[in-house]
Amino acid sequence: MRIARVITLLSLAFATTLAAQQQPAASVPDLEGGWVRVDVEGSGNFTGLAAKFPRAVLTPAAQAAAAEQAKRAAQPRFDFARDPSRPKGAGEGYVVTDGNCSLPGGVEPNSAAFHVVQSQEQVLIVRENPGLPRTIYMDGRAHPDLSRWTPTAVGHSTGRYEAGALVVETIGLTSGNVTAGGWRAPETRLTERYRVSPDGRRLTIAYTWADPKIYVKPHTYEIVAERTPPGSWAFESWCDSSDPSQRLSIVPPPQNK
Amino acid sequence: MRRAAWILFAVVLMLREPSAQGSPDISGFWELSFDSRHVPTASLAPAVTPAVLAKQADQDGSAIRWCNFLGLPMAMDSPRPINIRQGRREIVINFETVATPRHLYFRSAHANMDVFDPTSNGDSIARWEGDTLVVDTIGFDGAKGVTAIPGGGYRTSDSHLIERYRLMSGGAVLSVTFTWEDPRVFRTPHSYEFRYVRAPRLYEAQPPLACNPFDEARAAFLEVP
Repeated sequence: MRIARVITLLSLAFATTLAAQQQPAASVPDLEGGWVRVDVEGSGNFTGLAAKFPRAVLTPAAQAAAAEQAKRAAQPRFDFARDPSRPKGAGEGYVVTDGNCSLPGGVEPNSAAFHVVQSQEQVLIVRENPGLPRTIYMDGRAHPDLSRWTPTAVGHSTGRYEAGALVVETIGLTSGNVTAGGWRAPETRLTERYRVSPDGRRLTIAYTWADPKIYVKPHTYEIVAERTPPGSWAFESWCDSSDPSQRLSIVPPPQNK
Repeated sequence: MRRAAWILFAVVLMLREPSAQGSPDISGFWELSFDSRHVPTASLAPAVTPAVLAKQADQDGSAIRWCNFLGLPMAMDSPRPINIRQGRREIVINFETVATPRHLYFRSAHANMDVFDPTSNGDSIARWEGDTLVVDTIGFDGAKGVTAIPGGGYRTSDSHLIERYRLMSGGAVLSVTFTWEDPRVFRTPHSYEFRYVRAPRLYEAQPPLACNPFDEARAAFLEVP
């Protein structure tokens, strides 16, 4: 009888140990750690990563807004007087930015790694280079009234776990371009589903943009990232606006004729 | 026999939590108030002359002028709430100011410093000692960010920081004791304490404080002798 009790107690102890080690629960994906976006389509460069995504189908009004933005984007972004863009000698750099290290960030990962931490009330996604973090509230709060919200590049995000995925709903984004020919406004709703592969090494993020004023049908595409190796650490993408070389391109643009 | 079983049961339960499991959760938005800082004067090493301090102050002034990432310790002295999020394998601290996030890894060893690129925040590893989170940081770059340490002295590439985080007042206050060791700067380890107050539960993270290095009025304001 006593031996049976001992066995029962030990079994209970080992069972609770195993349960604790398996956290987070099976319905909560283990997203924590560093991730790097990968080129699953064999695009060969960062710009080409979205080349094979389905193109957004925009309403006429959204097409006009996107065209206006494209026109503005074609304008010089800084005072080219600092760099007359004359043909340069070998090794002489071209000024391609104003050297400002501030970047707006955004909802999608860029070429740097991104890092996820999952706490009970919030999932936080931070970058290695300048840009806003993603703060995803998991505490059941509602989105704010947009009339009292200043739009940002990351908007306001709430999340929940659903069938082994992290589902994130975002509104309140600044107006602007969306990957693969899309467009967005503060009222546009972005739904993301973060799913981790069974071996824990790959993360697929499915993006769905919905807004009847902008999209004829919801605009959807997926981004894939790979987990950084165990024991790796977050880099600091240092940027110093006082450094003149910060403004230069390492790849000279085409020479003026 | 029964006693032996209970002892075995207790031992197994203790063995199961080598990391963060079962430890306090310090997650939250935390802010400093006007009475949050207890900062004694540091005892500086003889080599830290007024000329050395003036040079260091110039370097810090340039970092502020050009909106460089602040780094430690200034990032932890943010005028806005800091966002601490505790996960299973690390804690991330994010700032609403010009600073890169901190990553406090629940690991037993630092990154290999032969391959680690020094940063303004360094390489931090964390462990629980009872209810206290002990964070050990090396791998700083003394040339990056704002290096001034509260109470006197400055961060160098040889600095070693130990922080002790502990919840107080039923979780409403987070005490953090910072201890800097650096024989080139301090005669003895220099310690000070900040007590952060938990922000309201529904606090909303704000975009970081803006900093434009090309704002000429700002630059003129900062560069007034």
